[in-house]
Amino acid sequence: MGGEGNEAGYPVHSHDVVIIGAGLTGLRAAIEIVDQGLDTAVISKVHPLRSHSVAAQGGINAALGNAVAEDSWEAHAFDTVRGSDYLADQDAVEILCKHAPAAVIELEHFGTVFSRFPDGRIAQRPFGGGMFPRTCYAADRTGHNILHSLYEQLMGRGRGENRQVGKLSFYEEFFITSLVKLGDAPFEKGSGKEERCVGCTALNIADGSLHGFTCHSLLLATGGFGRLFDRSTNSLINTGDGASLALRVGVPLEDMEFVQFHPTTLYGTNILITEGARGEGGYLLNNKNERFMEKYAPASMELAPRDIVARAIQQEIEEGRGFEGGYVLLDLRHLKEERIAERLPGIRLICLDFAGIDPVEAPIPVQPGQHYSMGGISAGNSLATELRGLYAAGECACVSVHGANRLGGNSLLEAVVFGKLAGQEIGKSFRGSGWDRKGAEKAVLQNLHEEDARIKTLLARKSGVKMPGLRDELKKTMFEYFGVFREGKKMEKGLEKLLELKSSFPEVYINNRSGSFNYALIYTLELGGLFDIAEAVARGAIARQESRGSHSRVDYPHRDDKNFLFHTLYRLKDGKPVLEPLPVRAGRFPVKERVY
Amino acid sequence: MRLKVFRFDRETGESRYDTFEIEPSAGMTVLSALFKIQEELDDSLAFRYSCRGAVCGSCAMLINKIPGLACRVRIESLLKGEGKIKLRPFPGTEETVSWDPENEVLVEPLPSLPRVKDLIVDMDKFFEFYRAVEPTFKPASKPPEKEQLMQPDAVKQLEKYTNCVLCAACVSACPVSGKVKDFLGPAALAKLYRFHIDPREPDDKSRLMLANSKSGWWGCEFHANCRAVCPKGVPPIEGIGKARRELKKSGKAPEQKF
Repeated sequence: MGGEGNEAGYPVHSHDVVIIGAGLTGLRAAIEIVDQGLDTAVISKVHPLRSHSVAAQGGINAALGNAVAEDSWEAHAFDTVRGSDYLADQDAVEILCKHAPAAVIELEHFGTVFSRFPDGRIAQRPFGGGMFPRTCYAADRTGHNILHSLYEQLMGRGRGENRQVGKLSFYEEFFITSLVKLGDAPFEKGSGKEERCVGCTALNIADGSLHGFTCHSLLLATGGFGRLFDRSTNSLINTGDGASLALRVGVPLEDMEFVQFHPTTLYGTNILITEGARGEGGYLLNNKNERFMEKYAPASMELAPRDIVARAIQQEIEEGRGFEGGYVLLDLRHLKEERIAERLPGIRLICLDFAGIDPVEAPIPVQPGQHYSMGGISAGNSLATELRGLYAAGECACVSVHGANRLGGNSLLEAVVFGKLAGQEIGKSFRGSGWDRKGAEKAVLQNLHEEDARIKTLLARKSGVKMPGLRDELKKTMFEYFGVFREGKKMEKGLEKLLELKSSFPEVYINNRSGSFNYALIYTLELGGLFDIAEAVARGAIARQESRGSHSRVDYPHRDDKNFLFHTLYRLKDGKPVLEPLPVRAGRFPVKERVY
Repeated sequence: MRLKVFRFDRETGESRYDTFEIEPSAGMTVLSALFKIQEELDDSLAFRYSCRGAVCGSCAMLINKIPGLACRVRIESLLKGEGKIKLRPFPGTEETVSWDPENEVLVEPLPSLPRVKDLIVDMDKFFEFYRAVEPTFKPASKPPEKEQLMQPDAVKQLEKYTNCVLCAACVSACPVSGKVKDFLGPAALAKLYRFHIDPREPDDKSRLMLANSKSGWWGCEFHANCRAVCPKGVPPIEGIGKARRELKKSGKAPEQKF
């Protein structure tokens, strides 16, 4: 590893830039940063190719105009803003959609294999909430293909061929335990040095050793927090670590109440069944064999945005028109074997492997499940957070391009567009300012001592509350009280329950004392962060007395632009939660009613 | 039912099998059974995981002596004796431990890779071979304004190989990888072949030449275990065979007989 030792014995590694998370955002940023010649470290709690981006199925949106020539970035921006229920910041959406075609062409240039039209151009399929077929795809393995190409590009840079690239180091299976700050908070006057993020501390999962990292800039690219909910399509590693790390150094989270429930997750395991299945023509059916979407979105039917389809399914189930256990059917049979095999081979395999069903012969049982976090670490269009030196991009961040509801195909896009931009901004900032390496190391050491003590205390506890039970209770509470449909009184009860569970976290214990691959310890550290996030989601949801996008309140069924057309900022001040409104940046598209 | 699980600690070098009694739920996979053990019986059990949906490649292990993804193999089908495949002998298949296949599932780490802890193996060498084949698409000198055209049929051919999740199941099942330390192995060779057939790269055989030796294409003995165990249907053996034929045809195959 080559880190410098110190009197306390902790290895401390110094890099120009540290990226936490190695999914699409982290890897795209890494390419941009090493290409500027900076010494870059990528830290991930799993091998980069195991990141959740690999599971993205359906595609990536870009107005290439390959399917319908009159598509434009403006049309893409309008769809995104309307899909967001007008909560997205329109200047950010403009950046996203303008950069989209070049981003996809660049991926193709990096070697990503996309599905093609017969004339050889990149194929595009329709997705929910889009005016035109705009979603570029690689069958139903788009995330896999893109993540592997980005990693492959980094391997090429690691070989140092043909270009002056910066040094690149991967720290795999390292779990970040804290971010490190140096300097005085804006409201204090002491050393006169402006407060900034100068590094982090991490636990090496393989041997249990604590490591310190110092850097000029740190990018959080840690993904979403889907595993806060009982039913989620997310990988088991998606525990929102970045959001709680940021919160703990005083950085606010934004719009945490907006959680996307994907309409079609496989009943039983909640593995994602891509929107592409409906894009290719799949029907949703209730137990009366009705295509019930005609009641909810007569024009768009199954291809209405995700929030609308998820609520429709949930309502069918709650009103007794679902099937025993709580699901409806997604019927692909009329697409016939050839089309399913060509366009949705991964979906067919998932159904065979995990439900014992061949969608060529039988409809797929589906139910809504948590899928995406629109909210996240509050970041501007330059991906900078409130804390100097700390950046956030991808699903862990809230820029906000998705507002109250994300369109399918926009998250892979956000990851590559804003990953690249973050890399450019970090490069600019690096060239523009120096940093106090010695001071950073001192601050990191201070954190290392604290983190060491925190982990030792946890490992020394021999009785109290069992970790797995506490985690399950939290996840059940969140799905039950803060799920697809929400209601004020019920959520108050949910918050009470959540705080009660949270109060027992200091008594949590595990049996495993091992230093090597102690996953019980990792789960416990993740759980601590999940409680922080849960409270942010709950308080944001209770305070927002309207229905907008994914946030659907039965007691306030309408959107209320007069009182709630703003983002929710959530931060900890002296350890206490504080909510503040943040204005939405309007733009060319006036706020309108949303009809599909 | 019972899970018979290999336990190992690199620090002490000690190994043993632990047997856990669990109540299988409908559709329970080997991975979910391992989580159940961790949660209810022994939280020191170590194994890798991430997507639980057979797309990330983290949880490959030896299940009833067959390498596969733990998240993809269902307990009930194992107990019913389904999913058995015929494999040529490889290092993991020796009868070192007995188990009762009607009531037990035997779970061990992938063979041929260094053991680290319980079901976790050291993947460093595996990724070293991956890097050795230089798995980087060579971009055109200038980024094009439009995509490079590609026929759907070419995509179909490429997909067979790009579907690889690098889980190392094939390498652990490969009799050659088991005995020849510097053999690049089926995963790396499949990756190399994927770049060779990419129509967007110049067709100059330079990719094929990278593995034109006994540690590359010519080390394969065509046991076909790789294709049989791949959870994503990738056929390394096919790519290797085609690469060899192409090299022979162009007169570039090494003269030495292996």
